[in-house]
Amino acid sequence: MSGLGLAAIDGLAATGDALAALQVDVTPLQADEELLPEGLNIGFKPAPAIIVIAMMGLFLATGVFYKVADTADMWVAGRSIGNVENGMAIGANWMSAASYLGMAALIALSGVYGLAFVVGWTTGYFVLLIFLAAQMRRFGKYTAPDFVGDRFNSDAARAIAAITTFLIGFVYALGQARGMGLVGLYILGDPGIPGMSGYQGMMVIFMVITIVYLALSGMLGATKTMVIQYVILISAFLIGLLVTGYVSGYSTVLPQLEYGQLIGELSAEFSEPFAGGSYYLWIATAFSLIFGTCGLPHVLVRFYTVENERIARWSCTWGLFFICLLYLSAPAYAAFGTDLYSSEVGPAYGDPGMSAEAGDVIVVLATQLAGLPTWLVGFVAAGGIAAAIATTAGLFIAGSSAISHDIYANIINEDATQQQQVLVGRLSIIALGVLTIIFALDPTAPIAALVSFAFSLAAIVLFPMFFLGLWWENTNRPGALAGMISGLIVWLIPMFNEGHFGPGFDIEFLATWMPAIGSGLIGVPIVFAITIAVSLVTDEPPLETKQMVRQCHSPEPMPKDKTAADVVAERNGDGPTPADD
Amino acid sequence: MTDNNTHSADDESFETDGGVSDVEREKQIDYLDVEINLLKPATPFMRDHNRIILRGFAIWAVIVFGPITLTRLFPGVMTTTMPVLGFPFHYFLIAVGAPGGALLLSVWYVRKRDEIDEKYDIEQIAATDLERTDTGSQEPAATDGGLDQ
Repeated sequence: MSGLGLAAIDGLAATGDALAALQVDVTPLQADEELLPEGLNIGFKPAPAIIVIAMMGLFLATGVFYKVADTADMWVAGRSIGNVENGMAIGANWMSAASYLGMAALIALSGVYGLAFVVGWTTGYFVLLIFLAAQMRRFGKYTAPDFVGDRFNSDAARAIAAITTFLIGFVYALGQARGMGLVGLYILGDPGIPGMSGYQGMMVIFMVITIVYLALSGMLGATKTMVIQYVILISAFLIGLLVTGYVSGYSTVLPQLEYGQLIGELSAEFSEPFAGGSYYLWIATAFSLIFGTCGLPHVLVRFYTVENERIARWSCTWGLFFICLLYLSAPAYAAFGTDLYSSEVGPAYGDPGMSAEAGDVIVVLATQLAGLPTWLVGFVAAGGIAAAIATTAGLFIAGSSAISHDIYANIINEDATQQQQVLVGRLSIIALGVLTIIFALDPTAPIAALVSFAFSLAAIVLFPMFFLGLWWENTNRPGALAGMISGLIVWLIPMFNEGHFGPGFDIEFLATWMPAIGSGLIGVPIVFAITIAVSLVTDEPPLETKQMVRQCHSPEPMPKDKTAADVVAERNGDGPTPADD
Repeated sequence: MTDNNTHSADDESFETDGGVSDVEREKQIDYLDVEINLLKPATPFMRDHNRIILRGFAIWAVIVFGPITLTRLFPGVMTTTMPVLGFPFHYFLIAVGAPGGALLLSVWYVRKRDEIDEKYDIEQIAATDLERTDTGSQEPAATDGGLDQ
């Protein structure tokens, strides 16, 4: 039984019975109490430790090798990455501990409600593809806040977007840190840092490694590394699943389809439609995750690095394919893990049932309980660590570039040298890391839930700006400012209500209809309405801005080193021609 | 009204012979002069493109939210165990159908979009045709800005 002070999830459990399966009580965390996944074999193991250290060494070597101080290289890798490579990088960037560990956890603990995460985190890519990917590429700016700032001609909007990007990086990384800490326990055991539990010590160690790695490499190193990371983590995940299924007699060559026959034998909670969460909660969660996908700065930045729009479209599709490989396998892990847990450890459902911690390592737990050799379990665990590090890298790059490029170089010190920018970028990476470590010492929710808070934020504050900014030229500065500010407030309400930032208010009505985990369903329409309404009653944006939007939709190909703004400036330099309708 | 060729290598000339095929009309449009509004596509190309986008989006919405909604309405029928696979039907539709469906839709969309590009003679710029102003696809040398540790 975990002792997470989780008023939020409790509020949900009381009403929608949403995450009741997560078995949370409200006793505050005792100093001597620990986050310990029961059933997991904790202790130092040489083979897995060597695998993880070798892997980290590989990442660091790549990072050191591509060490850059030139900001142009630091931010978008010189825009020179192809289809499949970019698709893999999207996959590695995307698949965090939440995909690798957290999703199987939720499917195991909350059954069909957990599938909202599978659906939300895959199908969103189609929306991204049809509405944003190619247009973003044509816009041709470095970062998401850049887009918002230039599209709405406003430094205030740029700053809000940058702060949001930073916040997303931080909230999202909490889940990664929790994953690293829990999986690290299997590999290295309790590091025995005085005054810290095993989980905390492990989490701090891996976060420090991540920060060191990032401080040494820019985006270029990260992109090259991401392809390696994707290959490592998908092999670890799939090989682990195949062997677990085969050894335990669940499946042969296609566990992704064969686990269906096991469902009938599992407890009803695994597949009963609304046992783990209400219909409303399912829709709200999936909606938030889908549109959050389309607003995540570190995902969008991948489209700036490609040669042309066609490659942007195809790499998005490839990315979805690479992501589906893992997402179609996660429920199989959950099914195998639940069955093994029931037979080896104890009943997975009911009281006490499987704890949130055990759930969060179910992927590793399944391979361990199936009796796989330690090195192979270690390989699967290492994959989880790789997923967490890869994503944290992408997030911190996006977050730090928001601070150094968008706020510092664009607003605070316009004459900043590249060296100063890089320095500020590195300092903000360290700041992000320290913040994450502090909050992840006692995380308020399981991995996947923590990550979904970041998705709600991206969906509410950034997605409407991207969408309206690209698809309706009359969206203007006051509209965007009003929309983003109200969006931030709307996102914060359930976060405070459920106690993720300090003590919660615990308003039950709010927790039911606007859960933090799916606040996008209410928030996105509100922000859309406010942005549109304010844009309608205020002056239209200047012609140059409209032309920039038009340039994003022109089918005419654009060279890589040009932005929509350049094209408009060139054209107006020749003297603007009157529009003839 | 001239063709906007600020960034294309070949100066396309077109005849205005009164022919108003979509492709001809498209060539005479300067995109910097058309209004962008998702609900009112202003050019033949955008009209064709929007049609696939919105159609795809409608199908997508059904694939994503349909199964869970049907399960809410008809729990009995939807939870039937499937033959051979052994999945409860709703579980299969959600866990396999939705992600797989979105992937197939994506492939459908990029192909359709490529077809439209072909129809309107849109050629993407290949990496090799460009004069490189950046580090390009060669591995850039690591430049040390004096921040060595």
